[in-house]
Amino acid sequence: MVKTTDVLYYAVHVGELRNIIQWQTWHQAVHERRPEQEAPSLTICFEFLDKTSRSFSAVIQELHPELLVPITLFYLILRGLDTIEDDMTLSLDEKTPLLREFHKYTEKEGWNYKGSGPKEKDRELLVQFQNVTEEFRKVKPAYREIIKDITLKMGNGMADFCLKAEHDVNAVNTIEDYDLYCHYVAGLVGNGLTRLFVESGLANPILLERPQLQESMGLFLQKTNIIRDIKEDLDDKRRFWPKEIWSKYVDKFEDLGKPDNREAALNCSSEMVLDSLNHADQCLFYLAGLKEQSVFNFAAIPQSMAIATLDLVFRNPKIFEKNIKITKGEACRIMMQSTQNLKLVCEVFREFTRKIHKKNTPRDPNFLKISIACGKIEQFIETIYPSQDPKSIVQEPAAPVDPTSKEAKDKAAAAEAKSDLIYMLIAVFGTLFLISCVMLGIAYAFGARFDVAFSELTKGKLSKPTDAGAAQSIIHKYDHGEL
Amino acid sequence: MANVRSSHLPSSVLVIGGCGFLGRHIVSQLLEPSTSTVSVLDLRTTNNRFPGAYYYDADITSPEAVRSVYEKVKPLIIIHTASPTAIQDNASAAQKRGAKALYHKVNVEGTMNLVEQAGKIGCVKAFVYTSSASAIHDGYSDLINADERWPILRAPKQKDAYSESKGIAEELVLAANRKYGDMLTIALRPAGIFGEGDMQLIPNVLKAYQMGQTKFQLGGNENLFDFTYVGNVAYAHILAAVALMDTHALTTQPLDHEKVDGEAFLITNAQPLCFWDFARMVWAAAGDKTSPEQVWTIDKGLGLQLATVIEWLFWFAGGRTPNLTRQKVQYSCMTRYYCVNKAKKLLGYGPRWGMEEAIVRTVKWFQERDAKDGVGKQVQQ
Repeated sequence: MVKTTDVLYYAVHVGELRNIIQWQTWHQAVHERRPEQEAPSLTICFEFLDKTSRSFSAVIQELHPELLVPITLFYLILRGLDTIEDDMTLSLDEKTPLLREFHKYTEKEGWNYKGSGPKEKDRELLVQFQNVTEEFRKVKPAYREIIKDITLKMGNGMADFCLKAEHDVNAVNTIEDYDLYCHYVAGLVGNGLTRLFVESGLANPILLERPQLQESMGLFLQKTNIIRDIKEDLDDKRRFWPKEIWSKYVDKFEDLGKPDNREAALNCSSEMVLDSLNHADQCLFYLAGLKEQSVFNFAAIPQSMAIATLDLVFRNPKIFEKNIKITKGEACRIMMQSTQNLKLVCEVFREFTRKIHKKNTPRDPNFLKISIACGKIEQFIETIYPSQDPKSIVQEPAAPVDPTSKEAKDKAAAAEAKSDLIYMLIAVFGTLFLISCVMLGIAYAFGARFDVAFSELTKGKLSKPTDAGAAQSIIHKYDHGEL
Repeated sequence: MANVRSSHLPSSVLVIGGCGFLGRHIVSQLLEPSTSTVSVLDLRTTNNRFPGAYYYDADITSPEAVRSVYEKVKPLIIIHTASPTAIQDNASAAQKRGAKALYHKVNVEGTMNLVEQAGKIGCVKAFVYTSSASAIHDGYSDLINADERWPILRAPKQKDAYSESKGIAEELVLAANRKYGDMLTIALRPAGIFGEGDMQLIPNVLKAYQMGQTKFQLGGNENLFDFTYVGNVAYAHILAAVALMDTHALTTQPLDHEKVDGEAFLITNAQPLCFWDFARMVWAAAGDKTSPEQVWTIDKGLGLQLATVIEWLFWFAGGRTPNLTRQKVQYSCMTRYYCVNKAKKLLGYGPRWGMEEAIVRTVKWFQERDAKDGVGKQVQQ
């Protein structure tokens, strides 16, 4: 469906339209699904994937055949869990056991759940969850164990968080709480996916020894979304921004949305952006461990989108007014750049880091810290793709320079350019001087009184006398002395 | 903040240049709860004295004077941080020639003299030299994430006489490692030092604020730059001395990739940031309220042309150096930052003071000093 506003937007932003057309025309999936060989229940699972996720569906469906089904089901299982956690119509007594036991249901034949609130957008997934469990039981045991383990940990984490939120409106009190919440809903996903990648032999096993990098992959995405969704969360009375941060800028969380507090709210959002930005270099480090192209694309696209989103929300007052997101044209360009190699992904990160840096202002209390965080990302990119090589800086001997060498020629050319410049300047100033002399001469010949003008100027009279009589009297003064 | 490392140092540390900008910070950190005796050798020891340290006046280029102080102090560790102040770029040609000779005399010959006398006296176990990160930079080109693999530059590539003299002296010091019995040597190369007592960086930046130049910016401000807080540089010197003493305690010689003696280490705040961000933070700390929308950006090419014209006009008008020079344009538009992983890994270095805290306390120090003696007003005039 094409909206009129979209047509107008792309009529003006032709470059972005070009990106969309290019992506649609030239992008080739690394691997393609084979729908004709799929069981009916799996086809239903892919339909749900399309319905529940607009951003992940396409990249998941291009995954290596080894991981295509496990990751699709992993996504649907977590989506089911998320739907239960989000559901405000469920009582705590109903919700927490469901969350804690969810990992067991994933393998239970015919299991589904019809108790979700009628407004839950992914309610249907749980109603027909038997398709997921049926397919999940066919998955290789090693993958199944990983997915169940993450589901168990995430379910428990969500249940703990729901309990806490019941007693305290500021369930996310400290930055530590914030990190822990993001760990449950996103950091664990990073861990689970890494284990799946390594188990299938499509990623460097060393990633398993770097839990901090896996964590950052999840946290960078989650924290960026939490900043972007502030308006929606304010409206729904949900609080994910930690009190430790917002209390520095406003007295009450709701005040963030009030137009009178825009400046304070913006500074607060800057600190949130800073917190997220600090994960960026570790995400690039992680991506260096992925070898298989489809896995790389799957992991890299969301990260590139996140840095672009971070730029979009940084010092943008609109986040408190409406839901904003990257335009489709921009998204297509980022996807093209993120589905090739790490170097291009680094370029995307560098580009948006610089854009963030450009908007940074010394009036913001986080100014220097943001500047340093941007510097850290640039320096990290330099460590993986150095732009200078110390070996090329060899000491040249002071021997006479070969006149035919390129350097000598360059030097001669530079010297010539310099003398050209000097002659040009002389010519320009000389001409100006000559013209000035001619003009002054003509004025003198027609009777201009430079002596009068000069001495009146030295008395500080810069404008000409208002009427002719005054001018005459001045002239008289000079011709006849003081009267 | 208690300095845990300095208490590891045994008795008798001699800080050469200990009344200078960096030296006095080293002395102050050495005097934090510790068991060592701290002595200072400097050309003049009237300024920046600390109770508890012993002060000796001597010229480092004189063998007799240095030997006599060494004999009195019997130092186990020498930290050599003495160096003449690098002249400003608005000095005349004659001043520049004079300065070049002075740099050679103090930095090269003076350092050689200090090392030789230390080797001869026999009690010195560790010799720490303050080199400069500019030894590997020509003062002109971009230097991006450089580390210790980059070569020390000599003329004609090295265009700055001060930097060249520091590089030559560093090579002399490192060549003396294990040459005189078991005396070990090490060199530290700090980049862009600022802090309390700073004579160059912060005073210049504050002067621009007092003259109302905060609304101008040369270049796009995408050039990362390393600025290093003096306290962190002083701390690195203590770590270097401890590392040399630890090497002494080893029964075997360390492996090449673990070796600290005879090695040079780059030292920064490990927080490179864009050139103008540093200036803006200093100005903001001093009270400036300029926001980015108000700033006029003059791009590098135009800046260079303007500077050329202005330099010519000033030359016609009698040879003074203007406020805007090509060298200043070049400096504020170039990228210059380093990688300090070697110091992190082998010396256990990490900045004790972050950039923000360092800038705030430095600006406060200058404002308090200016309020005390009214220097601020003089600068404005």
